[in-house]
Amino acid sequence: MVTASLRGLPDASFGEAGSGLEAIERVALAPVDLIILDLNMPDMHGLEVLDFLRRHQAYREIPVIVLTTRGDDASRTDALAAGASLYLTKPFAPQTLAAQARALLHSHREGS
Amino acid sequence: VSDSNPDGGEFFAQFLDDYFAECDEHLTLVRRHLLALEEQAGRSGVDQPLLDELFRSFHTLKGISGMVGLTGAEQLAHHMESYLRALRQGEARLGGEGVEALMTGVLTLEQVIAARRKEEAAPAIDATVARLEAAISESASESARPAPAGAADSGVPPEKARTWRFEFVPTPALSERGVNVNSVRTRLQEVGEILQATPHVGGTGGIVFEFVVTSDADESVFEEWREDNLTYAPVEESTQDETRRPPQPDSIPDREEVGARAPFSASSAGAMLAPSNVVRVDLARLDDLMRLVGELVTSRARMEDGLRQLRQTVPPAEWRALQETNMAMARQLRDLREGVMRVRMVQVGEIFERMKFVVRDLTRESGKEIKLELQGQETEIDKFLVERMMDPLLHLVRNAVSHGLETVAERVAAGKSPEGRLTLRAATAGDNVLIEIADDGRGVDAERVLARARSRGLVAGDVRLDDELLLQLICTPGFSTRDEADRASGRGVGMDVVGGAVAELGGTLTLSTEKGRGTRFTVELPLTLAVADALIASVGGQRFAFPQSAVREIIEVDPSAVRVLENNEIVSYRGGVLPLVRLARLFDLGEQPEKPFHVFVIGSGAHALGLAVERVIGQREIVVRGLNDPLVKVAGVAGATDLGDGRVVLILDVAALKHSASGGRQPARNVRARTPVEQL
Repeated sequence: MVTASLRGLPDASFGEAGSGLEAIERVALAPVDLIILDLNMPDMHGLEVLDFLRRHQAYREIPVIVLTTRGDDASRTDALAAGASLYLTKPFAPQTLAAQARALLHSHREGS
Repeated sequence: VSDSNPDGGEFFAQFLDDYFAECDEHLTLVRRHLLALEEQAGRSGVDQPLLDELFRSFHTLKGISGMVGLTGAEQLAHHMESYLRALRQGEARLGGEGVEALMTGVLTLEQVIAARRKEEAAPAIDATVARLEAAISESASESARPAPAGAADSGVPPEKARTWRFEFVPTPALSERGVNVNSVRTRLQEVGEILQATPHVGGTGGIVFEFVVTSDADESVFEEWREDNLTYAPVEESTQDETRRPPQPDSIPDREEVGARAPFSASSAGAMLAPSNVVRVDLARLDDLMRLVGELVTSRARMEDGLRQLRQTVPPAEWRALQETNMAMARQLRDLREGVMRVRMVQVGEIFERMKFVVRDLTRESGKEIKLELQGQETEIDKFLVERMMDPLLHLVRNAVSHGLETVAERVAAGKSPEGRLTLRAATAGDNVLIEIADDGRGVDAERVLARARSRGLVAGDVRLDDELLLQLICTPGFSTRDEADRASGRGVGMDVVGGAVAELGGTLTLSTEKGRGTRFTVELPLTLAVADALIASVGGQRFAFPQSAVREIIEVDPSAVRVLENNEIVSYRGGVLPLVRLARLFDLGEQPEKPFHVFVIGSGAHALGLAVERVIGQREIVVRGLNDPLVKVAGVAGATDLGDGRVVLILDVAALKHSASGGRQPARNVRARTPVEQL
């Protein structure tokens, strides 16, 4: 679903990870331009993954969009405090995600 | 250990203290784990980490009990350990009987340790041991396998499962071969159980995944994995607790979605709270520290007085510099005091854990259905208070279960839910800690209490009964509406002891009860005892200190505003009336001159009381010293302090004063507060 909504992005390839540790492994093995992170994962909390990434020089700058099914403010605050670039609550419009992803990629590439 | 060698004796005494402290820690864990285990009894798959934790605790208890020569405890722990080993190895199935045997075992173990602590004769353990042995052999025959031979009499049992730390460094090449963090995780799950999985950044900046695994597989299995960048090392027994911590505790505030975290099973979460960076300190050392802080407070007060006298003789600029330093010191001293206080604080949850166990026991005995709710376990309270409040709180909980809550049949007949609710709540309120024990049971039978009070001549015939009087009556020594105290509520302490303990700690006990609806006891205790903020006021030329936490407000009253009603003086106050107690009169320090005076308002609502003084002198930080000599111990005086000028100032016991003031209207009078204090 998430990948589908991002198909419109030019020159993009996608990888999926089914768990927090797998996500970290992927980030470590190959450069990643954008991470879309679900908070609900079988092994780690999404915010733990985010926290890990943000604490390490090599991954600090990667934009991370946090996806969640819940829309409470505390969670949003926590995600943003933990270093999320963006916080989206399901359900969201695919265009919204695509547009936000494009904007983040753009500014990230310019920045680096 | 020979006591003839004084150093050896002292060493051993200290060693024993450590032993008791460690036992307490393990017994707390064990109680918690047993309750979790109980829920799983009868099921086929019992939570393995839970069994491991229990096993480890009993193993430790056995070891340390052996070291101090407490053979009874050693044997009990040994039998429980054996049973758990059988369970762990799948040689036994856990049934309700097994849990029961373990529970009894723990209770007996507690008693044996407590007896040693109090230097009393140890209780007999034979019955309990027999029961545990029966559980072991029964479950062993059930699974048609003999109990592990030899294990029962070897001092240190062979432990099959060991804990290992694996590190996996992923690479693109490995990933192509299908060796990645997921496949590694699956591989490890096949040989044992993953306790923890955390990502790290290695020395070269690459990612390293660390897995802590318990496994009984042979080391040679792991050896082959080295070529897959998966290395291993055994984890030492002593560091196991640390490895069981969840990764980055507290760093992620939002954890409620984490229900499905595979490596950590929910029921073992409590065990993972086991602190690793915690120092255990003898309470006596903290007392010393607090005493030193207290002396500092007194010295600074003395210095401040000196400074004030210097003001006339020293040039203003220099004096101001000194005064600024003095003020800075005051602030720092306050921080220091609060810091030391915080060190002494422990979470109320520690008491509540104990209560859970007790409630469970009582529930079984009484056949009632009870749901226990805990709130505010994280509230902190002085360790000293915890120790002193344990028995009184236990008594209140037992009372609630055995007298307060009804049986299922009674509840249904009264149109209530069959399950009774018992709530333990703790909260901080200003400089006080509140602990509430509330049940939704039948309430205190006021008529019965009153009838009994009349028959003993405690009250006049026409007295109006309110909650306060009710509490006073049931706290009267020897007063019990039960003709025969039952086992649950009659263990040594009665309500009079509860009331006494709370009062001794400078706290207050209040009761609110409604027939058919429930009963609530509220214990309000000061956060700490040694140093407190106080308001100093003068009465008849004497100075007195009032604990600031007890004073709600200070008002100025003109003598013309005082009205007399049935021998009581009252003033209007916030739309109501406030009864006045003139301390000068109460303490026989002469009559107050007819001019405006100040009144300290204590209590609130219908229980508010005004204490009239002549002049408020100011606010001070005081060091509370108890008056322990029975000759000078007077109700209404909580202790004494030295304000720095060498003169002793009495600290008023506001709760007792309130009590005696209300006693003036009611028969359970406390006349001792009328003892003239200048005789001190």
